[in-house]
Amino acid sequence: MKFLFSIFCCFNITALKAQELFVYSEPASNMATKSIGIRANNYLMRETATGNYSHSFAPEIMLGASKKLMLHGEAFFGYDISRFNFDGASFYAKYRFYSADEVHSHFRMAAYGKIASSDNPVTQPAIDLAGRNSGAEAGIVATKLMYKIAVSAGGSFVHAWDNSGNNKFVLGRGSRNAFNYNLSFGKLFLPKIYKTYRQVNLNGMLEGLGQTNAGTGRSFIDLAPSIQLIFFSRMRLDMGYRFPVLNSLSREQDRGFLLRLEYNFFNAYK
Amino acid sequence: MKTLLSAFIIFLSLSASAQVSKVTLQASGLTCSMCNNAISKALKTLPFAQSISSDIGNASFDISVKPGSKVSFDDIKKKVEGAGFSVASMKAVVHFDDQKIVNDGHINAGGMTFHFLNVKDQLLNGDKTIQILDKGFVSAKAFAKNAVYTKMECYKTGVAGSCCAKEGLVTGTRIYHVTI
Repeated sequence: MKFLFSIFCCFNITALKAQELFVYSEPASNMATKSIGIRANNYLMRETATGNYSHSFAPEIMLGASKKLMLHGEAFFGYDISRFNFDGASFYAKYRFYSADEVHSHFRMAAYGKIASSDNPVTQPAIDLAGRNSGAEAGIVATKLMYKIAVSAGGSFVHAWDNSGNNKFVLGRGSRNAFNYNLSFGKLFLPKIYKTYRQVNLNGMLEGLGQTNAGTGRSFIDLAPSIQLIFFSRMRLDMGYRFPVLNSLSREQDRGFLLRLEYNFFNAYK
Repeated sequence: MKTLLSAFIIFLSLSASAQVSKVTLQASGLTCSMCNNAISKALKTLPFAQSISSDIGNASFDISVKPGSKVSFDDIKKKVEGAGFSVASMKAVVHFDDQKIVNDGHINAGGMTFHFLNVKDQLLNGDKTIQILDKGFVSAKAFAKNAVYTKMECYKTGVAGSCCAKEGLVTGTRIYHVTI
């Protein structure tokens, strides 16, 4: 037994951790119980019609409600002429229902739901619960972690309601429903060997993000490369760019940058 | 001198209710130093933990125990799971005072009941490192494999059942299944 344990320990020294803290999607894993995370999400997206970039800002708060349940609340502000306007808000919950942990790997699955509100006019056929549409989304995500690599796949059903402020969904009843899907890869580049919590972590990610409208059958698929820096094992800086590789489902902004700063408070409440 | 020393050790062991001085665990399912930090922060909230040190690359944690405090291995496991991960292995340094152990038998030490598996019958004296083999304290594979070491149902439930009645254990008593 002791001998076996020694072999087990030696084996694991070579096993490094990998990364699944994806920039454009959520993994199946949750944050720690009783921890609170705050995020400042900044989007600099190109207007398809004019080619100009516009800035939107989305502060987000995340809560580890239990070891299996985490909650997010997010507000969306678009920059118009000279000030930020409130566009809407969303509430997201994720429940991890399957977990198979090994020292150097894990496989996890989670179900999630989101409801969002927007008071903007509905102006594009792509459904976007980040400030453009009021609606609901339900989906499943599975994440596999092996050594320094993480792979995550998710699929969800999204339904658009009429937006608030008498802004009706004007694009036809059949196109209120869509499927979202993603396939994400993450890799830990630095540090080569973990020594302290103060070491900066560098991760690189490549994600494929798509939507297919159930009514029209039109789709977009974006590629989104990103890099992530983690400071003091509690602060995250994400930088990404997304652009379409398939683009038959039109959007007002189909490419642009993401800059996110995240800070985590562990044991934030009793 | 030797007698004095022995007397001192006996005095110490009588005066200190905590016979566990250190717990070392390895966690599984981690992704990064941020996750490791989450476990470390969670372990720090244990009332019996004096200090936590961590080997980040190996996902292992040393908990040194406050003198005189009572350790709960279950509470440590709950903290790791609360941080979103699992315990891959847990070992503890436990002080024994001339306690006879037999393979597949129970003893009381440090206010806890231990069920020794895969050991030679022997007399334990002084600080010994034990490994906890209960469900959730080893990988699922190891837990299934270690089942060959006992036929008692308490291995599966973690609490005293009819299998332990002949040893005078009250049904429902928490039993940690361990090896050396």
